[in-house]
Amino acid sequence: MALSGTARNELKRLLGPRGVVDSPIGRLAYESDGLALIHQAPEIVLLPRNTAECAGAMSVLASEGVPVVGRGAGTGLSGGATPVEGGALIATARMRDVLELNVVDRYARVQAGVVNVDLTQMCAEHGLFYAPDPSSQQACTIGGNVGENSGGPHCFKYGATTRHVLGLVIVRADGSILDLSEPQYEPQGYDLIGTFVGSEGTLGIATEVTVRLTQKPAAIETLLAVFPSLDGACDATSDLIAARIEPSAIEILDKLTIEAVEASVFRAGYPKDAEAVLLVEAEGSEVEVASTVRDVTRIARARGAIEVRSARSDSERKKLWAGRKGAFGAMGRIAPDLYVADVCVPRTRLKELVRETTRIAKEKGLKLANVFHAGDGNLHPNISYDRRNPDEVERVLTAGREIMALCVAAGGSLTGEHGVGLEKRDEMCLVFNDDDLRAMTLVREAWDPERRLNPGKLLPIRGCREARGAHAPSVGHGR
Amino acid sequence: MNDAELVDYAKTLDCIHCGLCLRTCPTYQLTGNESSSPRGRIALMRAVAEGRLDASEPGYGAELDFCLVCRHCESVCPAGVRFGEMMEHARSALAAAVTAPLSVRFVRWIGFRVALRSRFVLARVHGALRLAQRGGILPVLGRAMGARGQGLASLPEIPPSAERRLLAPFTAATRTRQGTVAVLEGCVMPEMYGRVNRATVSVLTKLGFDVLTTRESTCCGALHAHNGELDQARELARATIEAFEKLSPAGSETAQVVVNSAGCGAHMKELGRLLAQDPLWAQRAQRFSDQVVDFSQFVAPRLPASQRLILEGSGEMLRVAYDDPCHLCHGQGIRAEPRQLLDRIEGVTRVEMRSSESCCGSAGIYAMLRPEESQAVLAPKLEEFAAIGAQCLVTANPGCQMQWQSGLARVNSTAQVVHIAELLDRALQP
Repeated sequence: MALSGTARNELKRLLGPRGVVDSPIGRLAYESDGLALIHQAPEIVLLPRNTAECAGAMSVLASEGVPVVGRGAGTGLSGGATPVEGGALIATARMRDVLELNVVDRYARVQAGVVNVDLTQMCAEHGLFYAPDPSSQQACTIGGNVGENSGGPHCFKYGATTRHVLGLVIVRADGSILDLSEPQYEPQGYDLIGTFVGSEGTLGIATEVTVRLTQKPAAIETLLAVFPSLDGACDATSDLIAARIEPSAIEILDKLTIEAVEASVFRAGYPKDAEAVLLVEAEGSEVEVASTVRDVTRIARARGAIEVRSARSDSERKKLWAGRKGAFGAMGRIAPDLYVADVCVPRTRLKELVRETTRIAKEKGLKLANVFHAGDGNLHPNISYDRRNPDEVERVLTAGREIMALCVAAGGSLTGEHGVGLEKRDEMCLVFNDDDLRAMTLVREAWDPERRLNPGKLLPIRGCREARGAHAPSVGHGR
Repeated sequence: MNDAELVDYAKTLDCIHCGLCLRTCPTYQLTGNESSSPRGRIALMRAVAEGRLDASEPGYGAELDFCLVCRHCESVCPAGVRFGEMMEHARSALAAAVTAPLSVRFVRWIGFRVALRSRFVLARVHGALRLAQRGGILPVLGRAMGARGQGLASLPEIPPSAERRLLAPFTAATRTRQGTVAVLEGCVMPEMYGRVNRATVSVLTKLGFDVLTTRESTCCGALHAHNGELDQARELARATIEAFEKLSPAGSETAQVVVNSAGCGAHMKELGRLLAQDPLWAQRAQRFSDQVVDFSQFVAPRLPASQRLILEGSGEMLRVAYDDPCHLCHGQGIRAEPRQLLDRIEGVTRVEMRSSESCCGSAGIYAMLRPEESQAVLAPKLEEFAAIGAQCLVTANPGCQMQWQSGLARVNSTAQVVHIAELLDRALQP
């Protein structure tokens, strides 16, 4: 249903002239999020400044029956913020205020558009930080993190976003406001916040988030282990997990990634002749850190590491992490576009599954780089391509599907942290059967009976039986 | 001109739309609108090149104009997108393809073709502005012009004619001679900040360098390039290169060219690229670019460790904040040297501004053209400057100096604004 002129004027009155973008050029800039493979211009973009404005806009859109997609910074990689045809986009870019900082009870209440890294910088002087640290943390927003239940390297120790959200203010599809902002350390009644986090914009739009702040550890050590083979780095990770040694992050970067990062502004000093590096961070008391460092060094050496070294200074440590986090963007040096897969596998089978993904890419003549959260078993096969080459795009999509099927069959899951969005929607049938999906649809419809919020995302449009003609086994959630 | 030539298409493909640039972009910070962000602008350029967007659509030119070309996005771009160059190309091609209104073309013609190329005109213009300022006409006129006139109304005081004089063609070293360097005099610089030029020369001579200047070139063309006048920029680049080559005897190596204006320095370091397609000039331009060095970059490693720098004052420490000019930190990657120099001055306490690498809103002639946006970009920095209790703002670029002066004056601050060369000159005994 198209948006009427009256509704447009009403939206401009509510949000001010700068809060409504409906020129062809303005809309064009919102065609895609970090998944540039799919693009669709929205009908209108709305930039509310607070909950009341967002709710006002939402009720106008409800009365017009217009679909609504929420968007933070648009850094997501699964198409969660890709607009829908004829739909509105509500972006939180002008909602950047910190509403409350409580350093004693260790929480902050922020508007949804606050940038992840700004939150951490803001509480640094109190010895606190916000734990989830997606690689896009320099740009991505807390609201977007809530929608996607985002992770990041340090979620190995601290858990993904859902473990750090204590409260929410949600604008619902009909424009009503659900205020759950009072920090809840334990859910009382149905866990609405737990349901909402990771719902990818299908249940409502979070406008304010109350987050848990974490105390900075007394000691931190960052280790870089250099391997002559990717296999060695994978094996070392499996060994660390088996030995129950738990640093706060375990990351692997392969040779192609290292080359791209070292050629970029995020040059970190990774050795260019290495086939892979393992980046490990140990946190805790001095004693704990020292013991973890000893264990990691021993295991890495046993698996063939040619060098294991510690960051000598805080600035070197930051550089090692900035390099890791800039890896995705740095791949832009290799080809115009990049597809980042996001699957989880059992950590005992890392080597085998990394080999398999490499084989799949090779078979299809695609260039693959591996940079991933090894400790979580969260693989990110990065496939470079050029979207102007339709044949290559098709091969990338097929490879993506094969990788997902492979990992699910091995006992893994479809997504580690990027969400389902558009990219993995149809693969939900690999994991869930029609009954599972029907249960999820009921939850969705309880919040949004008309299914106007982020339609066509997350859940397959038709049942799996119809879509695939086969019954998928129910294996439940991966993580 | 076909669609693809309107933008540097190949460079737009370097961007993979990751969005890491968003938080650094001053215009995205102001509006929250993606078409006013680096990746948004690149998406627009790409759409133009692919024929999905008509370049004559007014919104396209408006988004290109809105950008301050601070290049902060380049410092955080993992894919190494050269955004500044892309903007120069896109603006220039658009100006050639789409005819601007006559009034706009006239003002640009006066500014770029006439004023910036002639010392005579620049001197007359500044003389007239000073008279208008002294007579109280300028602020009235500025206010009468509304938003557009704000730049005029809050223009820092134009120095008296006695101070608006050029440097001597040759100034001898005052200590044991270490070598010879050339200094870029600049176009607006001698009119607005002749004292900064003199301080620059004074520091260099105190370090043992003979200093040469040339009167054969006026503007290096940086403002032209940034504003989409690439052909004129190339013309001025050739003239600048030639003028500086003449300073060194034939056959000898060209002296290093010390530049105290970050915007000019960043541009002059890239002349090799600007003239890369010109077979007669490509090599010459690259050789010249290699000789260009920023003031702090030149001075920091040459200041003997034994040399004391003492700022005589009231006896109290002066709290200074260094604000990185965009074209020094993002354009030239120079961040450490100015800080090292300031830290060596006794009597100075340096405090960091978290926003030191964010644009101050000056951006060449941007502050004049779009005073409202320019001041909005500066606003959060003014707040931080006040919050950290700094008494002196140190910069390394004339545009930023002007912007901070008028910004601080607007909030009735008594803090002083100086170029790093001025502070060093005061601290370096003869």
